[in-house]
Amino acid sequence: MEESNSIKLIRKSPWLFHFNSGGCNGCDIEVVAALTPKYDVERLGAVLTASPKHADILVITGPVTRQTAGSLKMIYEQMADPKIAIAIGTCACSGGVFRGGYNVLGGAEKVIKNVICIPGCPPNPRQIFAALKKLYENKLEEEKDDGGSKLTKE
Amino acid sequence: MGAVSLPKSDGTAVKLVPSESIVDAVKEIATTHPHLVGITAVHADSNIELLYSFDNFRGELRHLRVILPDKQPSIDSISGILLGAYIYEMEVRDMFGVNFNGHPLPNTRLLLPDSYPAGAPPPLLKTVTMDQLMKLLDSVQELQPPSPAIPITGSSRYSAESVVILPFGPYHPALKEPEHFALALEGEKIVEARPRIGYVHRGIEKLAENRTFLQALFLVERVCGICSFHHSWTYTLAAEKLLGITPGARAEYLRTLVAELERIHSHSLWIGLLGYWAGFDSMFMWLWSARERIMKLLEMIAGNRVNKSYITIGGVRADVSDEKLKIVQREIEEFKKEFKKISEAVMSYEPLWERTKNIGSFTAELAISAGAVGPTLRGAGIPYDIRKIEPYGAYPDLSFEVITEKGGDVLSISAVRVKETFESIRIIEQIVEKIPSGNPVPQTFFMGTSKEGEAFARTEPPRGELYYYLRGKVGLRNPYRVKIRTPTLPNLVLAAEALKGYTLADVPLILTMIDPCFSCEDRAIVYVKGMGPLMVKLPRSVPANLSLGCPI
Repeated sequence: MEESNSIKLIRKSPWLFHFNSGGCNGCDIEVVAALTPKYDVERLGAVLTASPKHADILVITGPVTRQTAGSLKMIYEQMADPKIAIAIGTCACSGGVFRGGYNVLGGAEKVIKNVICIPGCPPNPRQIFAALKKLYENKLEEEKDDGGSKLTKE
Repeated sequence: MGAVSLPKSDGTAVKLVPSESIVDAVKEIATTHPHLVGITAVHADSNIELLYSFDNFRGELRHLRVILPDKQPSIDSISGILLGAYIYEMEVRDMFGVNFNGHPLPNTRLLLPDSYPAGAPPPLLKTVTMDQLMKLLDSVQELQPPSPAIPITGSSRYSAESVVILPFGPYHPALKEPEHFALALEGEKIVEARPRIGYVHRGIEKLAENRTFLQALFLVERVCGICSFHHSWTYTLAAEKLLGITPGARAEYLRTLVAELERIHSHSLWIGLLGYWAGFDSMFMWLWSARERIMKLLEMIAGNRVNKSYITIGGVRADVSDEKLKIVQREIEEFKKEFKKISEAVMSYEPLWERTKNIGSFTAELAISAGAVGPTLRGAGIPYDIRKIEPYGAYPDLSFEVITEKGGDVLSISAVRVKETFESIRIIEQIVEKIPSGNPVPQTFFMGTSKEGEAFARTEPPRGELYYYLRGKVGLRNPYRVKIRTPTLPNLVLAAEALKGYTLADVPLILTMIDPCFSCEDRAIVYVKGMGPLMVKLPRSVPANLSLGCPI
């Protein structure tokens, strides 16, 4: 399925599966902070699910290490279409500060294609909320045309 | 080469021990200094130097140094004397190729990925460059998911009908980070638990040796996102000791302020997660919502909520104005009221008591032998707090209590963390009152070269004692060796022991008890292959050749 179509197909209540591919916990706690009262992505119907088979969005945090790369691919393949992968934090986008380490492959793009990147170390829960809201309102590609936005779809 | 003595200011004694008498030397030292802080290995001048550091819980450190040749280094294991040593020895074996005779898990790996070739040189040797490692690992990298490492139920290999080997993780709903546990179950009861770590291993120690002192600061900060400031502070303390730099008094106070705010945010995060794993979701939401007040303060002071990058060698990177300190004072008062209300509500809630009391029980002796640190150790009644026994920053001027609880279970550790949060609030109130004036920001950031020597530093992050060791060589812009010993590593040894005898449903709670931070312990750690029987005996019904773990 075309990736651009699949993004449009996820309309309401995107469920998230959180995958730590080797992160420092910084992005992870900001993802959790986005779920709790002050930011509360549940307003958009987003909840964490325990199984990738129930999830619409794969949330990836941390650089992809050699040990987790296989699991990342497997879990992404287990998700049902239409599906989206979001890389939260600079490490998940490109490898970040750990790039060049012998056990680090790089960003999530090394393993799965068409990853939406939210850079930051870590991105603020406000940014995570904004990204999900854009997905919810289906405005992701308009943002891309602005050019100035931090949220890009590659 | 001769032994390099640690700087005298540390007040420590280093004893050179021949490799064959290490067991006797450790036996002797462990009678007075039972806490093994860590085993540090350094590769220098065709030798591998091992530094065993011991504490007597009063901050009087003693070290044993052993010098081994780097060709087929071998030494006796001390894990028979101190349980926690086995995990440090595995780390040294993986990273330096040192063979430990009599180790309970021979031929097993702790830290390197599955794909790391068996005969390849260990990554932390100085003769191995990053390019060589990358080339080697790229040539064997494959994107296949790891084959099931743990034999699954029903396998004809196991005649014992009552024992089930349950793989737990690496991606399990009850684990927020990827780690694997092999649990041997008899019915619902756990008879044996083995952690397998290394999924988050990023090779930070090797990376740090290839970056300048200042660049490495930003790297070590990202060892762990929750206690990030403590990592950068401990590194800075060691670097300042090595380079002979003294920060100003105001900088020390500001560092202490950020560190204590971090402790409050980490502890309230943890207490919230305890509620989450105990099935008390309101508790989780209340605490995380109260915690946002602290995150706002951190963002105001440092510009970022989590990885703050606030500290630098010789001071801090920005001053905090009096207006901002007033805001800190006001907000911390508000937080105190809110936290008091929430903690009284949750800690007096009977179902939570029943869910946590006598769960994950352990004795103080086991905790000492495993080398446990931080609130986990204090929950068993041992007042071991680096802020008190080896004061750093502004702690000598501040008054606070070291909280201990008797019991050694999930409940007592929770109580320690709740009370420590109040102590941290007290410390912050004093800092705002007492903070001296002056310029905390150094004139220039440190861009110079190293001095010859070695230094270490310890601090007390929210999870317990953190230890950094730095080795410098004259003229080098980067540290020659950075060794990090994080608190979760010894605590995990304890948690794996504490799991025994409890049910599968208790696993999330008991693992949460130590506040595990796998990103910390994995910075230089790999992966356990083919774990053999450890210090525990499996039930009789299990065949003797049963090994939990990867059969590769």
